[in-house]
Amino acid sequence: MSRLLAIAWKELLQLRRDRLTLAMMVALPVLQLLLFGYAIDTDVRHIRTVVFDQDHTAASRELAHSMEATGFYDLAGEVQSYDDIAHAMRSGRARVAVVIPPGFASDLSRGRSTHVQLVVDGSDPQTVASATNTAASLVVARSAELMVMRLAASGVPAPTQPLQLEPTTWYNPDLRTAVYIVPGLIGVILTMTMVMLTAMAIARERERGTLEALIVSPVRRLELVVGKIAPYVLIGYVQITLVLTAGKLVFDVPLVGSLIVLYGLSFVFIAANLALGLFFSTLAKTQQQAMQMSFFFLLPNILLSGFIFPWEGMPQPVQWLSQALPLTHFLRIVRGITLKGSGFSDLAPELVWLVGILLVIVTVASLRFRKKLV
Amino acid sequence: MNDSKVIVAEHLSRHFGTLVAVKDVSLEVTQGEIFGVLGPNGAGKSTTIRMLCGLLDPTSGRATVVGHDVVAEPERVKERIGYMTQRFSLYEDLTVTENLRFYAAIYGLPRSRRAARLREVIEVAGLGDRRRQLAGTLSGGWKQRVALACATIHEPPLLFLDEPTAGVDPVSRRQFWEQIHRIATEGTTVVVTTHYMDEAERCHRLAFIFRGEVLDTGTPADVLARRSLRVAEVEVDRDAHGAGDLLRVLPEVDEVNHYGHVLRVATRAGADPVALVREVLGATGITVVSAREGRANVEDAFVSMVREDAA
Repeated sequence: MSRLLAIAWKELLQLRRDRLTLAMMVALPVLQLLLFGYAIDTDVRHIRTVVFDQDHTAASRELAHSMEATGFYDLAGEVQSYDDIAHAMRSGRARVAVVIPPGFASDLSRGRSTHVQLVVDGSDPQTVASATNTAASLVVARSAELMVMRLAASGVPAPTQPLQLEPTTWYNPDLRTAVYIVPGLIGVILTMTMVMLTAMAIARERERGTLEALIVSPVRRLELVVGKIAPYVLIGYVQITLVLTAGKLVFDVPLVGSLIVLYGLSFVFIAANLALGLFFSTLAKTQQQAMQMSFFFLLPNILLSGFIFPWEGMPQPVQWLSQALPLTHFLRIVRGITLKGSGFSDLAPELVWLVGILLVIVTVASLRFRKKLV
Repeated sequence: MNDSKVIVAEHLSRHFGTLVAVKDVSLEVTQGEIFGVLGPNGAGKSTTIRMLCGLLDPTSGRATVVGHDVVAEPERVKERIGYMTQRFSLYEDLTVTENLRFYAAIYGLPRSRRAARLREVIEVAGLGDRRRQLAGTLSGGWKQRVALACATIHEPPLLFLDEPTAGVDPVSRRQFWEQIHRIATEGTTVVVTTHYMDEAERCHRLAFIFRGEVLDTGTPADVLARRSLRVAEVEVDRDAHGAGDLLRVLPEVDEVNHYGHVLRVATRAGADPVALVREVLGATGITVVSAREGRANVEDAFVSMVREDAA
């Protein structure tokens, strides 16, 4: 036990002298919080839009203006042909084009049906859905309005709508992206720093020859491993606290559930990442290799865990793969606790997953991490 | 097992893939002696030491170190040995005292003894003024002192030194060897690898390792006696190179070396080198300015052994 403490204490002393790493551990979560909190907004707005108005009437202009009024489309000018639309899209001047046919106003006033075409740049699929949905609901509403006006004109009283949808959003009623992103950021930051710190801390000892001195000492394998990674658990908790606090102050991210449950479950997640870092360090010969491995590991975590892209939208095999990532489960835990107030029993299945992953990583890592050279 | 034998290695071999780094090495080291493992780089010295420390498992053979089998009980061996390499294994971002305190703790030095022992090694190594300095800012010689202090902080009965003086200035090397002798006098057994032949002569006993095999073991005097080499130092007035070529082809001559106008001629089988040189060079135009018999050294013996082995 005293050997374990000696190693942990030594690690802390080294960390204290390594000002840059220490500063990074503190500054990184806050910087990422600000960056991602402000920058990531899956709520698409202000899409540059051109109008190909072949009608040139008050009605056609009014339609264009009502689209702009949604705040979703920014009118970037008029064009005179489909070629102009293609050019505007290729040059990036517009992402969406509205084509109003000749005779638009006269068809409307005569009670005939008319078509408005919406051309969308599909190279970014995320915008397509939003652009189409917004325009569709706008047209449906406008259509209903016209219908009522026509009926009123013909003397029939306005009917009540037979079916109405009343959407109610719980847990993040304003649909603020930051509320979704910030808790998830805790998991991403922990994945990045915990894996990298352990992998590099052990690779550093290997590189400088001090690992050989430790291996030749009577230190037990468990004392060595636990002593080396324990200080980083502490850093993990500092990071969680930083992100939660800054998230509350800057983005008003709620913390509905129990902080104790969050901190408790975080331990399993931190441990899994540290064990993974240990595993990487058994593969890496240098600090640089350890760092590269950590980065390669980070990317699939960001893309597949559900941090940004919804897990439900992934094909089945990818879902299976992402179940193997600790972050996938931690995201559900941290979002559940902070936003929905989920309790321990709600999150038990995720905990079982995390513990399972932890056991597998620990087994593999300790099989590879021997107190031998070569 | 004889109690005074600190190391008994029998037929140790270690392969790395198809490379045979150590081949059938058998050694015995007696308590209190300074045992030198001598050989060129890549001869298998470090691999042998690492097997004796329990850092590497031998591919075949066995070794008992401080009374424990290195394969069956490596951790028992590790408790009772000190180990220092040319890389010094210091934490460069920790101070001298922090390094010492760390190694004292991981070697399980009892807390009650720690402070006193720390003062002791700092005193002995003359580290008093530098104890708060970061290890990384020390010069090579000072790093070496700290590394030795770390390796001996738990007062091990057996100390392994793997190329401890590589890259250290000559003055520090001498001081280091003085310390090694002091440690040995106190009863610690020291096993040291080196490729410096002058250091080899400071050992009580030697093992010559070449291409993974032990060529000879014994005291420096025994090893020299077995080669029965004699050496002459000859000064010539000109063409030392040509003189060397003439001598080198003779069957009695083992080795000829140039030092400016001085030739160092080693002969085997007890042939008188001075007489031989005068006889051979007398027939040429090269004048022998002076010729006297010198002392054959370990380097002469080693070179002779390696040549014989390669032939």
